[in-house]
Amino acid sequence: MVTPKHILGTFDEALASLRNNVLMMSSLTERSLERAMKGLFDRDDDICAHAIADDEEIDQLEIQIDKDGVAILLRFQPVASDLRRVVAAMKLSSNLERMADQATTIARRARKLNQHPPLHEVELIKPLYDQAMSMFKDSVDAFVREDVDLGRAIVPRDEKLDDLNRVASRKLIDRMAKDPGQLRGYLNLIFIGRCLERVGDHATNIAEDAVYAAAAEDIRHQTAAAAV
Amino acid sequence: MATPEQSVTERAEGPAEPSANSEPALKLTFEVKNLSVWYGEKRAIDDVTFNIASNAVTAIIGPSGCGKSTFLRALNRMHELVPKTRMEGTVLLHGEDLYSKTVDPAIVRRRVGMVFQKSNPFPTMTIGENVIVGLRLNGVRNQKFLNERLEKSLRMSALWDEVKDDLHKPGTSLSGGQQQRLCIARALAVEPEVILMDEPCSALDPIATAKIEELISELKAQYTIVTVTHNMQQAGRISDYTAFLYLGRLIEFGQTTTIFTNPSDRQTEDYITGRFG
Repeated sequence: MVTPKHILGTFDEALASLRNNVLMMSSLTERSLERAMKGLFDRDDDICAHAIADDEEIDQLEIQIDKDGVAILLRFQPVASDLRRVVAAMKLSSNLERMADQATTIARRARKLNQHPPLHEVELIKPLYDQAMSMFKDSVDAFVREDVDLGRAIVPRDEKLDDLNRVASRKLIDRMAKDPGQLRGYLNLIFIGRCLERVGDHATNIAEDAVYAAAAEDIRHQTAAAAV
Repeated sequence: MATPEQSVTERAEGPAEPSANSEPALKLTFEVKNLSVWYGEKRAIDDVTFNIASNAVTAIIGPSGCGKSTFLRALNRMHELVPKTRMEGTVLLHGEDLYSKTVDPAIVRRRVGMVFQKSNPFPTMTIGENVIVGLRLNGVRNQKFLNERLEKSLRMSALWDEVKDDLHKPGTSLSGGQQQRLCIARALAVEPEVILMDEPCSALDPIATAKIEELISELKAQYTIVTVTHNMQQAGRISDYTAFLYLGRLIEFGQTTTIFTNPSDRQTEDYITGRFG
């Protein structure tokens, strides 16, 4: 359903600006993650450096979104769906900033790996990357399109990512035992796997916030709550 | 006994099935059923049904002319002071029909006190006289009793410390916010069961508004409060339940936190978010 215009045009403008900054931040974060992983797979230090440099702009956008969100709360005191959209945007930016931090960590680990002979075990990371990125893209889509079903469907996908990470870590630990000379390399791959697993966690958070923004439904921690 | 939420359910979906697992029912002060009020030919309230919980603050919101003040006044029959009014439906106060032929409107107004938008202390009376005028009009002459009730009412309205040495001064010598609290003290002095407030802070500055809001939060422990407000943030801060009226009809009623985070009706959403009309 199309939201009717607010009586105050300045409110619609402020909300649109906040939303645009979130979209910009999400695009930059996606690019940063892609660059970090390309730097890893292609053994390209320059691309890794770009991924690390991207973080500054993303950090600045997080500050800007917080500032704009607080200004909207202060000036317009939004309620109902408007309030949920502002709160969700501010929470989204925090998750995006942490995802970008993971991209920076991946790029730094990739640069370390690039100083040594290639490890074919880097292939173990690819399924994690595919899963984490698809969760990330879908979670942002769920927020943008206010798609409750898509947002809800992302949460269980995090379990698959956790499983993929466990499998990859186990294999890399086996390699470490068999080939102690490459221990640092395998350790860096394990840490990169963990970064991607964290990206999935943040994508899950974004999906949960998307559901809250669209339907005022809090779907966080439902598995844990059901188990109690 | 129905809860406020149940009454909405009943309105929208017919009577709810009694549930063995339902939470203990809220104590109700008012049960308003199919209330309609006319001023001459104009229907100001149109078939409104909902319950008002005891010891809670219920806010009535809606655009100008939607019938908020009329609804409030129908709760103590004050709308009858306007010529050519008539009503249909029932208003039960603690189960008793306020519009029964045997009920004296003056008694109703004593049980259901009212505070107005603009503070209206009697200009020829002192601060003290303003508080106890209702008791005097009801024939109370015992000075010791009057003095006790004077102090109690002023303390409850958080005004005692500010005026205890100036009780002989005119009520109009107080600031706007103090005058409004004086009017609340005057309403409390006759020990009503309910306090109705018609935009009690609309003429006050933010500090005086905060004091009235704090007072409302304290008073609900002892009184049922129904307030009309145009200030959405104020409704969100002080009320437990909110009713949205539009064109005399009840559009939505529910817990304030729900109404202001996830209203179920599109018209409510558009009104509270500023997209109405």
